[in-house]
Amino acid sequence: MMLRVTVLLLLAFMTLPTVVVIAVSFNPTAILSFPPAGFSWRWYVNVLTYPQFQRAAWNSLLVTGGAVALALPIGTLAALALERARLRGRALWAAALLSPLVAPGVAAGLGFLILAAALGLLRSRVVLITAHVALVLPFVVRSVWVSVRNLDPALERAAASLGASPRRAFFRVTLPLLRPGLFAALLFAVVVSVNEFVVSLFISNRVTEILPVAMFTYVVNYTDPTIAALSSLFIAATFLVIWLADRFLDLGRVFLQH
Amino acid sequence: MRLLLLPAIAVLAVFAAALTALFRWSLLEFIPGSLVPGGYTLDNFRAVLTPQYLHAVRDTVVLAALTTILTLVASYPVAYALARTPSRAVRSALLVLTLAPFFTGAIVRTYAWVLVLGNTVVTWPVPMLFTERGVLVGLVHFSMPTMILILAAALSHIDPAYERAAASLGARPARVFWRVTLPLSRPGIISGGLIVFAWTLSAFPTPELLGGGKVKMIANVVKDLGLDSFNWPGAAAFAMLALALTLALLTAAGRVTGSRAA
Amino acid sequence: MARAVVELKGCTREYGALRAVDALDLAVLEGEFLSLLGPSGCGKTTTLNLIAGFVPPTAGRIFIDGEDVTGRPPHLRGLGVVFQSYALFPHLTVFENVAFGLRERRVPAAEVAQRVGEALALVRLEGRERQRPAQLSGGMQQRVALARALVYRPRVLLLDEPLAALDKRLREEMRVELRTIQRTIGITTVFVTHDQAEALGLSDRIAVMQGGRIEQLGAPREIYERPATRFVADFIGASTMLRGRAVSGELVTVTEGVTLRVAAGRALRLGAEVELAIRPERVRLATGPGDNVVEAEIDTLVYQGAQTELTARLVDGQRVRAVVTEPAPVPLALGQRVRLHLAADAFMVIE
Repeated sequence: MMLRVTVLLLLAFMTLPTVVVIAVSFNPTAILSFPPAGFSWRWYVNVLTYPQFQRAAWNSLLVTGGAVALALPIGTLAALALERARLRGRALWAAALLSPLVAPGVAAGLGFLILAAALGLLRSRVVLITAHVALVLPFVVRSVWVSVRNLDPALERAAASLGASPRRAFFRVTLPLLRPGLFAALLFAVVVSVNEFVVSLFISNRVTEILPVAMFTYVVNYTDPTIAALSSLFIAATFLVIWLADRFLDLGRVFLQH
Repeated sequence: MRLLLLPAIAVLAVFAAALTALFRWSLLEFIPGSLVPGGYTLDNFRAVLTPQYLHAVRDTVVLAALTTILTLVASYPVAYALARTPSRAVRSALLVLTLAPFFTGAIVRTYAWVLVLGNTVVTWPVPMLFTERGVLVGLVHFSMPTMILILAAALSHIDPAYERAAASLGARPARVFWRVTLPLSRPGIISGGLIVFAWTLSAFPTPELLGGGKVKMIANVVKDLGLDSFNWPGAAAFAMLALALTLALLTAAGRVTGSRAA
Repeated sequence: MARAVVELKGCTREYGALRAVDALDLAVLEGEFLSLLGPSGCGKTTTLNLIAGFVPPTAGRIFIDGEDVTGRPPHLRGLGVVFQSYALFPHLTVFENVAFGLRERRVPAAEVAQRVGEALALVRLEGRERQRPAQLSGGMQQRVALARALVYRPRVLLLDEPLAALDKRLREEMRVELRTIQRTIGITTVFVTHDQAEALGLSDRIAVMQGGRIEQLGAPREIYERPATRFVADFIGASTMLRGRAVSGELVTVTEGVTLRVAAGRALRLGAEVELAIRPERVRLATGPGDNVVEAEIDTLVYQGAQTELTARLVDGQRVRAVVTEPAPVPLALGQRVRLHLAADAFMVIE
């Protein structure tokens, strides 16, 4: 009983900010107040028409799209290699592939900035996308690896015995069976990349900055509820994504059992 | 087969190159007004020890420690409920609420606290926004999902039979918790604590937005030096400090959990 | 003279220091059902994998229809394989599983449908085309695996302990079906098993393997009645092994006072140490003393309904195994002294 009350209070603590943000986003005036003094969509309109947000959204699309398009195949091949290839020090390789998660964002961000300057790539999106690939890769590898582990190697032999070349066997048998892992990988990759902030702050400028960075710049300079509206959109999208993931993947199994 | 690792290794190599560049620059001399550094020197690391910056390092450590403890206390009940609830619906709901912040992004989460702590909802008896108190609240909120998941995983690996055995031997629920559940969840507590501590040491958006320039943690110093003063060598030194601390702590956390699956 | 469809010449397969297959020579004849029989680790599955191309030989060559296929990858060898775990594709229906090989060969859709139907009819699984493997029982999955391997009329059918996962009764049923299907189509078949009853009952020829080598290759009856080596005699059937010394061309002294006449088809070397093997079912209960009759004391007795299995100890402690059809001519009890007749021509001599 006590437990239930405590948990509910804690959950309230965890969700209070979200509620406040959504409520404030509908406030008709520029003053931040809760409960809101009325109801208005104007801040949402502002979000959608603000040029810098439009540009940032486009950048997010490019960067996340590029990063995911690269990270998925790279990570899938790596997961297959980790599970199937004869490797000395497999655990070390696995740790290495997961290592970008360990580095503090500011360290990676500054490091990429310095590297970009040295290569003369300061204004280029290449560095941004590469950094995102590196940051997203651990999630992809991990998700796909789980699926690969559950794959029966006899199936690929069977395909070969039936006349399928290694390439055909990969596309007709292996890849379809990796679908759950790939879907989870896609999910994680998109979410992580879209929300990536610290590293992106260091290596992007006004032209190339992605959405979170644009939001940060706005918050530092202005105090109207525009960001509340954008945040609410983010929150809505997130809940949708998670709900979908839970429907199709049973998130409990992904996170609690290993 | 092994060749399939090559693309991934290429990506890692770039990442390693970035960190190497960082390391190298932390040892180069900063020439004010220029992005071109001088020769090798330890001045940047010496700067860390000056009172002004040492203050920031100390604040960081203290805040991280407080955050870790509070997060542990706040996360445990939720983790317990998540691990032990028999109903799939409740578990799904808890999981969604726990995971949502993960996926919402740092800016959104921190901005929400800007509103709450900034007297939008209630007028606080003491100032919260732009103070260390406020940053602490933000950091705890930020760390809870991670801690909840780690603790829940650890708890779900404890065989409920132990608790039943203790109960059958006459222990009241509270005693069962203190003498059986809590001790058995210690690896999870330690690893969760170390991970949250490590990540909080490098926290950036929370102190940046909620600190309003008055609360500086190591990551904020890196940004100030790097992006505002263009003192890349100086910033690099602090970044290396954060990296080294994080590596050390996470290695310790890894040892605690033994050979956890990657 | 039947020609060889599959030939292995001097094939060796090493895994580090371990030699799974050791300089193996084998020819599989057209239309025959050949079993590779042996205990775990004898190299039978590795041999199958060599033929299929899943594993390259460290030395030696492999021929199919006279062509050297040693370097050829498995998907170009035109064979059919049934795996121990069936390896049915879980994401495809029964129909698509069976059709897989046909689609790889770009067979037009209408023909695919017809041939899949025929294959499923052959294994008696019509009507299940739309189901997924997970919805089928073990026996049904096995039949789908068989249909899948046969539908495109491969040159050779390879089976890797396909019945191992089935329960006893189903296994025996499937054995008969398998042999019937094989005979109907007349396909050359290599069958891997550790179960000697299976090999004896199904095969045209058996290759008994151990340590990567073939100990004996021949028809079932020959393997059973004339084992060439101690291992084969031991592995096939349960024999009694008696040690003794040849005192003449046909007499062997097993122990003091016990001399047996052996009609093994050739004269024994004088003074040679020999081992005599005799099958339990050839040991008879004798009513009185006589030629090749020994005295023994019953040590173990297991009633099995139609027969009783017993072991009896000779004077020197060596044990003889016997199988007596019930009802027994003489009453049997533990500790009872009995007389056992060991027919001269029932012995297999191993030197």
